[in-house]
Amino acid sequence: MKTKNNLIKILIPVLSILAAFVIGGIIIVCLGKNPLEAYGFLFKGALGKPSKIAQTLEVASPLIFTGLAASFAYKCGMFNLGGEGQFIMGSIVSIVVSTQTGITGVPAIIISVICGALAGGIWGAIPGILKITRGLNEMIVSIMLNYVATLFMGCVFTNILRDGSVPQTPAVPKESQLSNIADGFRVHYGVVIAIILAVIIYYFMFYTSKGFKLRAVGMNPTAARFNGFAVNKIILAAFICSGAVAGLGGSIELHGKQFRLMQGYGAGFGFDGVAIALIAQLNPIGTVIVAIFFGILRKGASTLQAGMKIPTSVVDIIQALVIVFAVAGTALVRLPQVQQFFRVHFSGKRRGAES
Amino acid sequence: MEEILRMSNISKQFGEVFANKNVNLDIRKGEVHTLLGENGAGKSTLMNILIGLYQPSGGEIYLRGKKVSIDSPRTAVKLGIGMVHQHFMLVEAMTVFDNIILGVTHDKSFFINRDKLKKEILELSEKYGLDIELDKEITEISVGAQQRVEILKALYRGAELLVLDEPTAALTDIEVQGLFQIIHKLKEENKSVIFISHKMREVLEVSDRVTILRAGEAVCTLNRDETTGTELANLMIGREMTPSIYEKKDGAEESVLELKDVDYHKNNKHNGLNHVSLCVKKGEIVGIAGVDGNGQSQLAQVATGVLAPEDGSVILKSKKVTKFSPKAFIDAKVANIPEDRNKMGLVGNMSVEENLVLKATEDDRFSKGKGFFLKKKAIHEYALKLQKKNDIRCSSVMQEARNLSGGNQQKIILARELDENPDLMVAVHPTRGLDIGATGYVHDCMIEARDAGCGILLISADFDEILKLSDRIIVMFEGQVMGEYSGKNPPIEEISLAMAGKE
Amino acid sequence: MEAIMNVNFFVQLFLSTIRMATPILLVAMAELYSERAGLVNIGLDGIMSMGALIGFLFGYMTGNPVLGILAGALAGIAVNMIYAFCTITLCAEQIVYGMAINIFAPALASFIYRAYFSDTSTVVQGISMKPVAIPLLSQIPIIGPLFFNHPVLVYLAYLLVPVTAVFLNKTKAGLNFKAVGEYPKAAETLGVNVIRQKYLASTICGALAGIGGAYLTICYTSTYSEGIVAGRGFIALSAVIFGRWMPGGVMLACLLFGFCDAIQIRLQLLSPGTPYQLLQMIPYLCTLVVLVIFGIKKSGPKANGKPYFREER
Repeated sequence: MKTKNNLIKILIPVLSILAAFVIGGIIIVCLGKNPLEAYGFLFKGALGKPSKIAQTLEVASPLIFTGLAASFAYKCGMFNLGGEGQFIMGSIVSIVVSTQTGITGVPAIIISVICGALAGGIWGAIPGILKITRGLNEMIVSIMLNYVATLFMGCVFTNILRDGSVPQTPAVPKESQLSNIADGFRVHYGVVIAIILAVIIYYFMFYTSKGFKLRAVGMNPTAARFNGFAVNKIILAAFICSGAVAGLGGSIELHGKQFRLMQGYGAGFGFDGVAIALIAQLNPIGTVIVAIFFGILRKGASTLQAGMKIPTSVVDIIQALVIVFAVAGTALVRLPQVQQFFRVHFSGKRRGAES
Repeated sequence: MEEILRMSNISKQFGEVFANKNVNLDIRKGEVHTLLGENGAGKSTLMNILIGLYQPSGGEIYLRGKKVSIDSPRTAVKLGIGMVHQHFMLVEAMTVFDNIILGVTHDKSFFINRDKLKKEILELSEKYGLDIELDKEITEISVGAQQRVEILKALYRGAELLVLDEPTAALTDIEVQGLFQIIHKLKEENKSVIFISHKMREVLEVSDRVTILRAGEAVCTLNRDETTGTELANLMIGREMTPSIYEKKDGAEESVLELKDVDYHKNNKHNGLNHVSLCVKKGEIVGIAGVDGNGQSQLAQVATGVLAPEDGSVILKSKKVTKFSPKAFIDAKVANIPEDRNKMGLVGNMSVEENLVLKATEDDRFSKGKGFFLKKKAIHEYALKLQKKNDIRCSSVMQEARNLSGGNQQKIILARELDENPDLMVAVHPTRGLDIGATGYVHDCMIEARDAGCGILLISADFDEILKLSDRIIVMFEGQVMGEYSGKNPPIEEISLAMAGKE
Repeated sequence: MEAIMNVNFFVQLFLSTIRMATPILLVAMAELYSERAGLVNIGLDGIMSMGALIGFLFGYMTGNPVLGILAGALAGIAVNMIYAFCTITLCAEQIVYGMAINIFAPALASFIYRAYFSDTSTVVQGISMKPVAIPLLSQIPIIGPLFFNHPVLVYLAYLLVPVTAVFLNKTKAGLNFKAVGEYPKAAETLGVNVIRQKYLASTICGALAGIGGAYLTICYTSTYSEGIVAGRGFIALSAVIFGRWMPGGVMLACLLFGFCDAIQIRLQLLSPGTPYQLLQMIPYLCTLVVLVIFGIKKSGPKANGKPYFREER
C-alpha cells in the first residue's frame, strides 16, 4: 500500500512533465519547427557541458529558495503567495547592508544574508499576523504585499540608491560577492546553501516535534487545537520561516548572481516557487529536484531561441502545463472512483499471486 | 394492501466492502414500515439508493409495479419519493419558505411568486398539522420545527412515499409524540412511510411491519403484531443480547472538576451555558442527559479548556483555572473524547502512530534534545504496543487514520487519552455511530478508567447510554442544569420531563 | 491649490474612478457568481490576462471592439473550463488549481502575443471602444459627462449589479444557485443538478472575467503588455469579501478601489517630485487597510471551496 502510494507520488509529476513536453512539442510543430530537434537543443543547452550544468544550477538556485518557502508555509496549511515580495525585501535589505555600511568581504556576506532573511521573515510575518488576529485571507494579503515590495524596490533603484543615470542600484562590491564553487564554472555557493537548507527543512518536517506540530496544524487545525497545540503561534512561525527562506534566497541571488537591483529583479520567482512546491507535493527534496528541472528549462530556453528562433515563452508554457497536469493528476488519483479502480486492480493481482 | 415499492436484490459496494448485499424490501401503500438495524447495517445506504443519491452496484427497483431507474435525486422527487435525512438538508442561511420552494419545478414562472406559493404551502401545512413559520430563518427555529419543514418539503413535492431517517434522534419526548401524530396523519392520507430507527420502543409504537437489516443484508420482515421487542433486538444483533450491567458507585469525597455559575453565550440563542454549576468527583461517572444542542458542546469545551467561560469559575483538582487553553488542561491530566472524532480528535491524514502520540511528542519518551528531535523508533514501538492492547484493527500503524472504521478511530483516541492515566475524562457522544461491539468496548474502557479513580464527565444524547453508565445524572436544557439524580434506580419519567424543560 | 479645488478636477477624478472601477467590478461579479455556487476561484488574474490578450488580438484583427470583447469572453470561458473540469469533476483543490491557472494563462497569453507579433520591441496599437453618449441625459452639466458618456461596456458592467441582485434574490434559478454554494447536498436531494449549476457558474465567471480583461486592452488602454492585469483579480477577490458577497456591497468596494487608482494617477500628475512608485502603492495598500478594517468575519457561502462528491460516505 505504502510503496504503491509512493510510486503514484513520483509518477504524477513525471507523467505531467511528459504530457507537458508532448503538448509543447505540438506547439513547436505549429511554429513549423521540429520538436525533437528543439528538445535536443534545449537539453544540450542546459546539460551539454559541465559548465552549462553549472549555469543551470545557478538559474535553479533562487527557485529552490522560493519553492522551499512556499512548501514550508503550505505544509502548515497556509498559502503564502508572497514569496516574490519576501525575496525582494530580502534583496533590498542586503543591498543596503553590502553597499552602504562599508563592511566588506565574508563578514559582509554573512551579515547581509542574515539581515536579508530577517527582512523576508518580517515581510512574511505580516500576512501571518493579519491571518491570526483579523482572520484575513493570507493569499490576498501576501499578493498585495508583493506589489508593494516590487514598487518599493522600484523606488529604491530609481531614487534612493540610484547609481548614476541608469535606474539601478550600485553593485555589491567584488570582495563581498559569493565566490564560485570552482574556477571557470558559473555557479556560486548559494546552490550548496539551498540544497543544505532543503535537507534541513526535510529533517525538521519529519524528524522533529516542531515539524510534527506544523504538519498536524496544516492537516487539521481544529484537532490540533483540541489536542493542545498553540495553533496561532505555529501558523505565525510558519509564515516567518517561510518568509525568511524566501528573503535568504533573495539575498543569496543578489550576492551570487545579480549583484544589483534593477527593473524586473525577482519577477515571477514567487509564483514559480509555488508551482514548484505543488509539483513536488510539498516535499523539500522534491522541491530541489523540480526547481532544478525548471532551471534546465530556463537555461535551455535561451539556447532554443538562439539556435532555432523559437520564443523562450514556449518553455513558460511547458512549465505552466506541468503544474496544470500535476495538480489535476493529484486530484484524479484521489477520486473515489479511481481509488476503487486501483483497489480492484491491485487486490486482484495480489489475490492471483496468493492462489 | 397494494404494493407501492419493491427493491429487489439491491447491492452496493464501497471499495471491497458491501454496504448492501442482495437486499429485498417491499413497501405497501398506507403503511409505516420500519427499517431496523444497528449502526453500519446499511439502512442509510439503502435509502440513499432509493432517493438516487447513490447508484446501486446491482439489483432492481419497482415502483407501483413498474421497473424504474432512479439515476438522480431529481428522478426520485419526480417519482414521488421524499426523504427526511438524519442530518437535515436545510440551507441555514435561507428562510423556511426558501428552503421549501428550492428546486421546485411545478411552477414555471421565472420569478418567485411569493404570495401564490405561500398560500399553497400553508394549505398543505394545515392539512397535515405541520405547524411552521415561513419567514423565519432556519437557524432561528427549533430542531423539531426544522424536521416539520423537512417533512413539508417532501410533501410539497408530492411525495407518496416518505423516508424518515432516525427522525427521533434529536427530539424531546414531547416532540416525538408530535411526530408520531404527523405519521398517523400521513397514514390516513394513504401515504407510505419508511421509518428508520434502532430504538425498540418507538419501533413497536409506530410501525405496521418491520424489516431487519444486519451487516448489509435483510434478515427478515415481520408484522408488528406478531413480534416482540426482544425478538427484534436479537434479530438485529444476530445473537442473544446479554446487555452488560455495570455496578454503580459513589465517587470519592475529593472532586476533580467543579463548575460554579459558569456562563457562556457567545453567538448562541438556544444553547450556551447559563449559570451552570456541577461537580465531578474522583472515581465516578457523571452523565449529562439532554437533547442535542442544549449547551452540551459548550460544557464539554469549557471543561477541556477549548472555550473560556464568560463568567463563573472552573476548579480543576481544587485549583481555580485562570488560563483556559487545551494545553493547560492536558497538563492537568484532563482527557478529552471530543464529539467529532474526525474533526477534533484525529488528524486524519496522519498515520495511526502519529495520532497515538499526538499530544505527547515533546515527552521524554518520544523525543530528545529538550523535546525537539523525535525518537521515531520509540514512537513506533509504543504504537505497536497500544495497537495490540486496544485491538486497533489496521493494516499497519503507518496507515492513515482517516481510512479506519469509526470504531477503530475511537479506539485510537481512547488509547491515547487513557494511556496518560487521566484524573478527569470528558467524553462527548463517545459511541455515536459505532456498532454494538465497539460500543461495548468503549463502555468497558470507561468503567475501567472510573474504577482506576478517574472522574468522568459523560455527555451523550443517547439516554440509554447515560442510564447504563452514570453514577450520577445531571439533566441539561437550554444551557441550564434542570436537576440532579442518582444513577441507582433513576426516576426515568422525571428525567425525561426535565430533558424537555418541564420542572 | 487652485488647480485642485477646481470642479473640473473632481469631475475628472470621479469619471476616472468609474472607469477604473469597471474592470474590477466585472471581475468581482465573476467571482461573486463563482463563490455563490461554492467555487473559490483565485485564478482571476490568469483568466483576465487571457481575456485581455484575445480581446486585444481580435479587436486588432477585425477592427471591431465588440468582437474583441466577445472573443475575450470566450477566451475567459475556455480558460475557466479547465479550472471547472479539474475542480468540479476531478475535485481538485480550488485554491491550488486557481493558482495553476494564474501561472498557466499568463504564460499562454504572452506566448500567443509573441508568436503573433514576432517583433515585440515596438508597442502594437490595437483598437479602442468609443464612449457612447446617451442622448439628453449626457447634456446635463457635471452629471451628464460623469454618468452618461461611457463606452457601452461600462454601462453593462454597472447594469450587471442590479441584474445580479434580482437574479439571486427574486428568482427561482437564483435560489437554486445560492443553495449549491450553501449546502450542495441539500440542493441535490431536492432535484437541483449541482454539477450543472457549478459549470454554469464557471461559465459566467469565465465570461465576465474574460470581459474584465478585455476591458483593459480595449477600453482602458489600446495596447497589450505583460502584467497589464496587475493584481486586479486579487483586488476583485477582496472586493467580494469586503462587499459581503452581495452585488451592491461588491460594487461599492470596487468603486473604492477604482477611486484609489484614480487618485493615484491624479497625484502622479500633481506632484512630479514624489517617486511614482510610492503613489502606485496606494491601491494595494488601500486593499490591505480595507480588509484589515472590514474583513473580520468570514461570512461567505457555507460550502465555499469544498469539493462536492455525491457518493461520499
